[in-house]
Order: sequence, then structure tokens, then C-alpha cells
Amino acid sequence: MATTVDQLVDNTVEDPSKRAPLVMGGLDNTGITDVVAGVAEREKPPRAWYIAFGIANLLLVMLGANILHLIFTGVGVWGNKAPQFWGWPIVNFVFWVGIGHAGTLISAILFLFRQNWRTSINRTAEAMTIFAVVCAGLFPGIHIGRVWVFYWLFPIPTEHLAMWPNFRSPLLWDVFAVSTYATVSLLFWYMGMVPDIATFRDRSTNNIKRFIYGLLSLGWTGSARAWHRYEMAYVILAALATPLVLSVHTIVSFDFAVSQLPGWHTTIFPPYFVAGAIFSGFAMVVTLMVPARELFGLKDLITIRHLENMNKIIVATGTMVGFAYGIEFFIAWYGANPYEQFAFINRAFGPFAWAYWTMVSCNVIAPQFFWFKKIRTSPWLMVVVCIFVNIGMWFERFVITITSLSRDFLPSSWDYFDPTPVDVMMLIGSFGLFFTLFLLFCRFLPMVAMAEVKSVMPQDEGDAEHEAK
Amino acid sequence: MGTETKRAVTSTQINLGALRNPLLIGGGAAGVLGLCCGALLSMGQGEDWYQKFSASYLVSFCFFMSISLGGLFWVTAMHLTRAGWGICVRRLCEILAMMALPMLVLFLPILIPVVLGWNSSVYSWVNIENITHARDLVEHKAGYLNSGFFTVRSILYFVIWGLLARFYLKNSVNQDSSRDPNTTLKLQSFSAPGMLLFALTVVFASFDWEMSLDPLWFSTMFPVYFFAGGVLGSLCVLTITSVSLQKSGRLTEDITTEHYHDLGKLTFGFVFFWAYIAFSQYLLIWYANIPEETSWFLYRQEGDWQMASIVLIAGHLIVPFFAIMPRTLRRNKTYMAFASIFILVMCWFDHFWLVMPQFRQEFGVIPADVLCLVGLGGLFVASFAWIAGDKSLIPEGDPRLYESLSYHNV
Repeated sequence: MATTVDQLVDNTVEDPSKRAPLVMGGLDNTGITDVVAGVAEREKPPRAWYIAFGIANLLLVMLGANILHLIFTGVGVWGNKAPQFWGWPIVNFVFWVGIGHAGTLISAILFLFRQNWRTSINRTAEAMTIFAVVCAGLFPGIHIGRVWVFYWLFPIPTEHLAMWPNFRSPLLWDVFAVSTYATVSLLFWYMGMVPDIATFRDRSTNNIKRFIYGLLSLGWTGSARAWHRYEMAYVILAALATPLVLSVHTIVSFDFAVSQLPGWHTTIFPPYFVAGAIFSGFAMVVTLMVPARELFGLKDLITIRHLENMNKIIVATGTMVGFAYGIEFFIAWYGANPYEQFAFINRAFGPFAWAYWTMVSCNVIAPQFFWFKKIRTSPWLMVVVCIFVNIGMWFERFVITITSLSRDFLPSSWDYFDPTPVDVMMLIGSFGLFFTLFLLFCRFLPMVAMAEVKSVMPQDEGDAEHEAK
Repeated sequence: MGTETKRAVTSTQINLGALRNPLLIGGGAAGVLGLCCGALLSMGQGEDWYQKFSASYLVSFCFFMSISLGGLFWVTAMHLTRAGWGICVRRLCEILAMMALPMLVLFLPILIPVVLGWNSSVYSWVNIENITHARDLVEHKAGYLNSGFFTVRSILYFVIWGLLARFYLKNSVNQDSSRDPNTTLKLQSFSAPGMLLFALTVVFASFDWEMSLDPLWFSTMFPVYFFAGGVLGSLCVLTITSVSLQKSGRLTEDITTEHYHDLGKLTFGFVFFWAYIAFSQYLLIWYANIPEETSWFLYRQEGDWQMASIVLIAGHLIVPFFAIMPRTLRRNKTYMAFASIFILVMCWFDHFWLVMPQFRQEFGVIPADVLCLVGLGGLFVASFAWIAGDKSLIPEGDPRLYESLSYHNV
């Protein structure tokens, strides 16, 4: 099915005089199409897909049942109580929004930085972005109490409700930031997918598939004019999405940092949250990409080099997060504010010290293993590290939210936070929602941006060898 | 790969050559003259004239230091990301980074009063007993803010920056003749710990040199703010230097419109990044409205300094944002050179705005400020010529040079 382009076995070996190949296994243009379209065209997905889908569905049902229980009973089914009125729901919200940062970073910022290796992974990462934002949106959505009037979150003039949302509240800015982000990410993802869906359409063997893919591909013809418009739109969307990658988690950080609460109010929060979001987002992408490439035979497209590059980003952003922890501590001392100092000592040595040290171990220490090439190029070892990173990033939000609230200015109101079973089931259930969507995506849509990967094949690239002639 | 024997660079002249001595002498003369006149002018201003002079001096020192650090950042970042686009201007970054050594000498007028505990030091915490307002808070910080530790830290920063810069420059220059691709690999693997050291030192240098001018004020964002300004400044210096070198007949063929376009895009990006950091820092402090934090901004946004803040917002964000947004303009190198000069002036003004309200009630740029800028600028140019020497101004031996030379923005 494919002609031989190169037969390098290990593309993680660096030769500065030429760029390493990004597509392995001697795949040519046709070969790439065959591999990617083959995932959706095969009669039945692998057995592991069914097992995973079954489990994900069970968890999704559990989530649905818990949501119904919450709606019919009230938010008291959660562990949220004085003084921690913000419990797990906001922790889960921030966690999931963070996960949703890798996709747009890869498709927008890495695109502007001309990182060709992004082409094999951007589609899946963008899909994860959207599914993660769905999970994120769920938690504040069901936290508002009367879910059926959720649209009051938006500044819609209504006759029966003679008031507006509070424009001074960063929670309202969140509504705008996250919904803008979701919209642009969805557009970006879908627009990028149009040429590939058209390929699926052209290859489909039955009418139902041809009709659905045909509808989704918006009459894509692949003409030069269509490509010209497509590429212009792509650059513009990338330029628009770039500030969005920063803005969403910046605004999420404002939820905390505009307050006067020790441990929340610190000016480093915006870039530190963004770094943390990219950190956790990439960890999730690696966690899922390793089994997915194995399961669907995409190893020649999503190569070890791609995974290694992502791991490098993980260690870079993880170290930024570590620096931010350090600076916060330093300034807490330097600022000479006893309340701030108490908040930080309480974090590290108070009743939630176990959570704090879990966070530090997972976020700061775990990614340091990626300094070793052996670990950052071994698929299953990197998954282990990345799972720790995901755990750590959930705990980061837990530490920030809970420890600062549980011991506030009034010692008589201090209390320990205990989650309820509903809290736990909803967090686990949200993974069910995420995985269900992701598995459906893997089965029915092009997991790799075929058209984009083809554009970075060696014959098209102005690399050193060709230019030197 | 068989291309080692070929010469990638096609410009007829790729080093400073005959320009070196005029730059050395001219820059040195401007430097000595500017600083001497600045000092002489200040002397007439009463007993604490030295403090007034060194405040003006500190503004320009931090400005040039941040540019040198921006150069160090770009060298490290380019190696870390195996970048191809910027090889053509990487030598200029390496030279900028190497300026850390002359900057150490130029830091002495600030450091010596701290070491000797003079009352005329710009840092009020040097003599805590002179502090009348909230002295107990400054005493709390004395473990960090004291003359001895400050001196040790400052020298340590320069040593680290100097060693990093020397390592990059030396290996890169050796590669010009050896053409050894392994040098690139060595520099790449070194750049990761290099970045850690860079980040750590810049964080504390910014705390020490500018934030501690008001020993009561603190902001965890401050190092990022300092960093953003420096990186922006270094991009402007790269554009201006490249254009000037090309006007003088050097590197004429090897820095192309594509490279100016890339530099322009990054300049645009960092104009915005600076604004993002500045806005976030301001918003969080304004919103929480805690007096110990707002006092610093309040002084800058009310009364006489309000105008300075307005100039900063307009000149550092709004004007450059629109001025370099159009693609056609970013691809015009003469235009970009002028735009870069404007942004550079605003970067200097940013440091002025950070430092000066600690020393002056009223907003106004006085002759001593300008003379310090000219003086340090002259010495900066002279150091550039001194470090550049006969070295090639483009890393001729870099294996990715072809890639950089042949790139085209679509």
C-alpha cells in the first residue's frame, strides 16, 4: 500500500543537519489516508474499544443518575458547606477546563510557531479540548441550584427577572470566556476536519455513511480555491484562538485571585494557571494518545518523537508551575502579611498537608523524570508519569480552593472538608462522559489530520537538504 | 550530507571589520561624556545628589540589562526548541547575552553604595534605621534585604549569566570554523538546565533591583513583567541592529524580509504579552483593593504621575499594537526599524515608570535621565563592538543555517 520514503527506525535521534522524519514506516500520501481512514472503515473496532466504551458508558450513566439526584434533591447532596461553599464542583470545573488547553495550544500557538510535528496530534487533542470543556461546563451548570433557569447566567433581558448578572463578578466573565473558547475551539476543530471528512465521504462504501459524511464535509471539492480559502481561514482562526488559550485560564484564575482571601490573592495566578492548564492538558493527551495509537495502528503517524516533544512541554510547564509554587511561598514571607503566611504554612503543614504534598510530588517531582530520555521515549512509562500529573493537577485545584477556605479569618468557623459519595461519583462519572465522547470520536471521525500531515512530508518541506541542492 | 564544504552565507562582509573601532571609540566617548555630564549636572542638586543621579542611572541600567537578558533568553530558547528560523540573528543574541559581563562593571555605581551602606543608596532598606514608615515590616525582610546578601546575590546573577553567555558564544564561534554538528547537540542539551538557571536568576534580580525600591510593595507577577519587557526590548534591538548592519553593507544577503517579518511577528506578540501581564497585575491589585498593594499603583495613577501611566499605556501598547499589526508593514524593514526605536523608547520609559516615582513627586524627564540613557547606551554599543570583535555576525557553521536562510513565510 505504500512506497518507501525512509526506513529510519528511531526518529528520536537528533541530527542537526536535517529534520527528523515525522511519518515513519515508509508511509506515503496514500498510505497515510489508508491508515487513518482505515480506523473508521473497519467492520468492527478492536475488542478493547468495546470494553472501554462499555465502562465509559456505565460511568456516564452513574453521572446522569447523580445529576438527577442532585436536581431533585438540591446541592446539599454535595459536601459543600460552611466555610467551603466552593467544594469539588469548582475543583472539577477548573480541572476539566485545564485539560482542555492542550488542543488549542497545539492547533493555534504551535501552528503560529511553525511546529510541524503538531500535525499528527492536533486533531485528537482538539477533540479532547472540546470534550473536556463539555465536562467543565457541566459542573458550574449544575451548581447553580435551579438548573432550569441556567440561561440567567447570560445577560439576557427578561421581563420577569428585573435584574442583570453581576458584571463585576469574574464568575460571569467565566461564562463569556469559556463559551467563547468552546465556540472557537469547536469551529477550529470542525473547520480543520472538513477536508478529511470529505476524504471519508469519497471513500465510504454505503449510502448512509456517504450522506452523513457528505453533509458534514460541506461540499468540499479540494479545489485550489477551496484550499486557498481554507488556509486563510486557518491562519485567522489560529491568530484569534491564541489569545483565547491565555484568556480562559486567566479568567478562571481571576475567580480566585481578585478576592482578598490569603492563598487566593496573588498576582502570578494568571500565567501560572495557564502554564498549569497546558501542563495538565498535555498530560491528558499523552495518557490517551499512547493507548489510542497502539489500538488503532497509528504508530507510524503518532511517533515516539511526537510523544517525546509533548513530554518536553510537560516538563517545561511542570517546572513553571513548580517555580510559581516557590514564588508564592517566597512572597508570602516577603510580603510580611501574617494571614498570608498562615495560609501557606497551613497548606503545607495543616490538616490538608497530605493534599499539598500529593500535589507537589505529582506536579513538580513526577515530570522531572522526563529529563531522562529513556522515560520520555517509553510509551508506558510516560503514561504512568502523565497519570500522576493529572492526579497532581486535580489536587492543585483542591489545595487552592479547599485549604484557603477551610481556615479563613474567623477561627470559630474553621472546618475540615469531607466530600460526599455524590461528589466522588460525579468526578468519576465525568470521566465517563469524557471517555464516551472520545471513544465515539475515535470510531467515527478522522483521528489524525491527514491533509496536514501530508503537507509536512519530506518532499514538500523546504528542509536543509533540499535547499542546499 | 555533503554540504559542509559549501558556504551558505553569501554576503560579502559578515563581520564588523572597519566599523569596530568607530563604534568602540564613538560609543565609549558618548558613554563617558554622557555619564560624566549626568553626574556633574546632578551634583548641583544638594546633599543627596548621588541618590538622584543613581536613580536616573538605575532606570537606564535596568533597561539595558533587561535587553541583554532578552538576548540570553533567545539564545537559550532557540537551542531548547531546535529553532531554525532565527539562526541568522542568533549571533547577535549571543553577543547581547555576553553584555552581562560589561553590565557587571556598570552595576558598580549601584552596588558600591549598598556594600558601603551609604545613605545615598537608591535602596532605602540599606539603612533600616532611616525608615520611618512601617519599619517593622522592612525589618521582617532584613534576612533577605540586606547589603551583604544583596551583593552576593547580584554577583551570583552576573556570574551565572556571564558563564551561560560565554558558553553559548564560545561554542557557537568555534562551530563557525569546525562546522561540527555535535556542537549544536551539546548546546541543545545544555540549554534546558540553562533555562532553569535563567528563570531563577531573573526572578530574583527583578525583585532585588526594581521591586525592592519600595521595600513594602510586593507582587508575585513582577518578574514576569520585567521579563516580558526585556524580551520585547531585545527583539527591537535585533531589528534595529540588523537594519543598521545591512545599511552599512554587512550581512546584506543573509537577513531577509522573512526574518524581519518573523521578528516583527514576535515583537507584536510580546507587545501583547507585556500588556497581558501588566493588565493582569494591575487588575488583581485594583480589584482586591488591599492598601498595602494598591499604594504602589495609586501613586502612579493619581496626581502628577497619572500622565506617565497614560503615556505608558498608549505608547507601550496601543500605538505599537496598531502600528505593527499590518503584515505589509511588518515586512518593511525600514518601517520596522523606526517602529522598534519607538517601542524601545517605551521600554525605557517603562523602567522609568517603575523606578522614578520612588524618588520624585512630579513627573518629568530631566536632563540627567537622558544623559544616563545616552551614556549607558554609548557604553552598550561600545561593548557590542568589543565583544563582536572580528567574529562573524552570523553563525556560519550552524547546520540549520540553510533552513533559516531559505525560509519563506507563506
